[in-house]
Amino acid sequence: MTFHDAATRDFAPFSTDQCIKCTVCTTVCPVSRVTDAFPGPKYVGPQAQRFRGPTVMEASPDVTVDWCSGCGYCTRSCPTGVRIAETNSRARAAMVVRRGSGLRNRLISDTDLLIRLGVPVAPLANFGLRNRLLRWIGEKLVGVHRRGPLSPFARRTFRSWWKRERRPLDLPPGADPHRTVIYFHGCAVNGFEPDLGRQAVEVLERNGFTVISPDQGCCGLPFISNGLYDHARRKARRNVESFAELARAGVRIVGTSTSCTYAMKAEYHEMLDLDDADAHAVARATWDICELLVDLHDRGELDTSFGPMHEAVPYHPPCQLKSHGIGTPAMDLFSLIPGFRATDSDHDCCGAAGTYGLKVEKWQIAQDVGAPLFAKVRAAVADGSRRAVCDSETCRWQIEQSSGVDTVHPITVLADAYRRGDEAAREPWRRVV
Amino acid sequence: MPRADVVVIGAGLAGLSCAAELAERGARVLLAAKGMATTHWTHGGLDVAGIPGAATPRAGVEALRSNTLHPYAKLASDVGPAVAAHLRRTDAEGLPHAGDLDASLRPMPTAIGTLRPAAIVPAAQAPALAPWNGDGLLLVGIEHYRDAWAPWAARNLASALWPDGAPREVRGITVDLPWLDRLHNLNATVLARLFDDPVWRERTLGAIAQAVPAGSWRIGLPAALGLERHREVHADAEAALGHPCFEVPSLPPSVPGMRLFEALRRRIIGAGGRIHLGFEVVQVERDEQRVHAIHTHAGARTLRLLGDAFVLATGGLAGTGFRGRRDGTVEERIFGLHVTAPPHRAWFSDDPLQPHPLEAAGIETDDALRPPELENVRVIGSALAGMHYLSERCGDGVALASAYRVAAELGGTARAAA
Repeated sequence: MTFHDAATRDFAPFSTDQCIKCTVCTTVCPVSRVTDAFPGPKYVGPQAQRFRGPTVMEASPDVTVDWCSGCGYCTRSCPTGVRIAETNSRARAAMVVRRGSGLRNRLISDTDLLIRLGVPVAPLANFGLRNRLLRWIGEKLVGVHRRGPLSPFARRTFRSWWKRERRPLDLPPGADPHRTVIYFHGCAVNGFEPDLGRQAVEVLERNGFTVISPDQGCCGLPFISNGLYDHARRKARRNVESFAELARAGVRIVGTSTSCTYAMKAEYHEMLDLDDADAHAVARATWDICELLVDLHDRGELDTSFGPMHEAVPYHPPCQLKSHGIGTPAMDLFSLIPGFRATDSDHDCCGAAGTYGLKVEKWQIAQDVGAPLFAKVRAAVADGSRRAVCDSETCRWQIEQSSGVDTVHPITVLADAYRRGDEAAREPWRRVV
Repeated sequence: MPRADVVVIGAGLAGLSCAAELAERGARVLLAAKGMATTHWTHGGLDVAGIPGAATPRAGVEALRSNTLHPYAKLASDVGPAVAAHLRRTDAEGLPHAGDLDASLRPMPTAIGTLRPAAIVPAAQAPALAPWNGDGLLLVGIEHYRDAWAPWAARNLASALWPDGAPREVRGITVDLPWLDRLHNLNATVLARLFDDPVWRERTLGAIAQAVPAGSWRIGLPAALGLERHREVHADAEAALGHPCFEVPSLPPSVPGMRLFEALRRRIIGAGGRIHLGFEVVQVERDEQRVHAIHTHAGARTLRLLGDAFVLATGGLAGTGFRGRRDGTVEERIFGLHVTAPPHRAWFSDDPLQPHPLEAAGIETDDALRPPELENVRVIGSALAGMHYLSERCGDGVALASAYRVAAELGGTARAAA
């Protein structure tokens, strides 16, 4: 690896020097596909970077970078290795430093706070989320689109369940760190989808892992996406401090949200410049849950006693999963379930991009970006599917809301398949047709 | 990640075609690439051997193969089946072509008003290749679309030397479409997507039709006649304008190239192959003779890709498969294969319009396209030594033929094993 390669990998804006202006990135950008407001990754990235001065914290003269949804297709398609999406994220952060950020972006980024406020009063909060008048008021006052995909709050958080069950917060004495995983539940499981967390723990334990869940908070990604890097760094620090020692001992960190895990795996370093040994240890130890299970399968250690599931589903791999660079591990797992047939959506982006699709000025763009996907999901339902599958929560909520089709995490499918397998083992005389 | 029979590295014409051929032959194939490749930069037709003096691509191949250092010296017998397979494949994916190896190399007008020899082109470019027989050539540009300057190109073409009969007259017009005034960003991709919309298309073609002067013309339009509904757009254009219409490829992004990429991508996935973009190879596991696995960048870790064979389709210097070093040597980036290249002092020339000596830099292989260092690696496409793919206009032919040879060998073994 030359100095240039190393510099590029360590500091995305350096890579813009390799841009040859071929415009490939612009052909794959889901946002500029549907709106003229965003000139495309090349213009706000490598082109504008030349005007950003010697330090990255100098803002670009071009504010259109804020229309970037951060999906990362530009980076993944660049023939010459320019880290376009990462450069754009930093440019947005510089803009936020200079111009400040509105209340709305700070509020919707602070998921820890939203959960603290919303879960204790879940019935009331959920009434508010469903109430058209209140949503209209929210749109006018705060700028959250009245039809933005917001999931209802859970009645109690995953963490409070975890503590009530007295499940381990730290490495239990005598446990093998290499067979122990930290479950990083993220905000989605904690405040909105605790059932998914329980399914994940069940699947991990079934495969011989001791599951622990030390102190943790939001990964910080919503703040990164909104250019609020200082806030994001505080969130990141807390997780790094809580996990680093365990990670160094060989404990892996496993998440059910491909976007949280990608933030810890790559963006703490690439965007937030967390470059100390602790942050690197955490990054190297972080796994997407399906990635971990496929790795287990590659070693011949995955429990494959899946019962038959005669079901066909559309599966949408989220953009953040693609940034992981691990392929589509969920599809590899689905192929182990007898009778189960998943079809890759073959569509770039659902549009939600975390908080992007909630914003009043961006909601329509998000809908237009995802429209072909929603149509595919609806067509699959017309063909007999009863649900769709997708790894990231905000993508799931977007697909669910815009297509009207139940959308679940791959782990939900695996947990179902294990249950079927157990039933078949208990009642071998009952043939599942 | 499941083990592959063959891992193809690179997503240009060579890599895509090799993966498609392998998948069609039943091999488990994985194509991993750092990003998109040269399809998005080129005109979408096939340059097999457009050399001066050759009447057809086949004649051009015959002439080039007499140079024993040229890849065609090894690959000449594969050119025919490779081109036929490519045309069959693209046709099946809704992207028909005109011409074959025995079609005449004819002058194709370019967006800057020069002529390049072409014989095998997407159907939407074909009307430009037929003998002019008294037809005029009308180039149409669109106001605000900056990548096709029709009047300027027409001026150049009017004074160009047409080898076998010029058009009756060459004229260039620019059509002003007021409904584009409010757009900030108008490149070929945007224009192509607008053409996909039937309402926009009808209105726009109607406006262009009004600007077409009387007489019999063949009309060159920006190469942006739709992406997903390209054939429909082309047919509508000919119907609305009342003359044969052809696309004139221009600056990147190349819409014909995007269509080609998409057709081959669909083909590979449809045949059970896998494609992963954004997979940059950062590490190789190997012993003295064989590669066991490659590792691609995956966040803070790497992803290990196992395969029985590895096909290197990462291109030369332009495709970033090679890198020039300060000591004057050229290095192949992934496996560190030896690259035959001219000495450092020959890298610089005073005439930018002459073929560059580094163009011929490449990897020397045996007849199976195996480099001397590694027995389960094959090299295809413009990484091969001995060709001037620009001046000989042979890059696409070498890409297809080398991809075909390798796929026939490796795909054959996969089937035999299964």
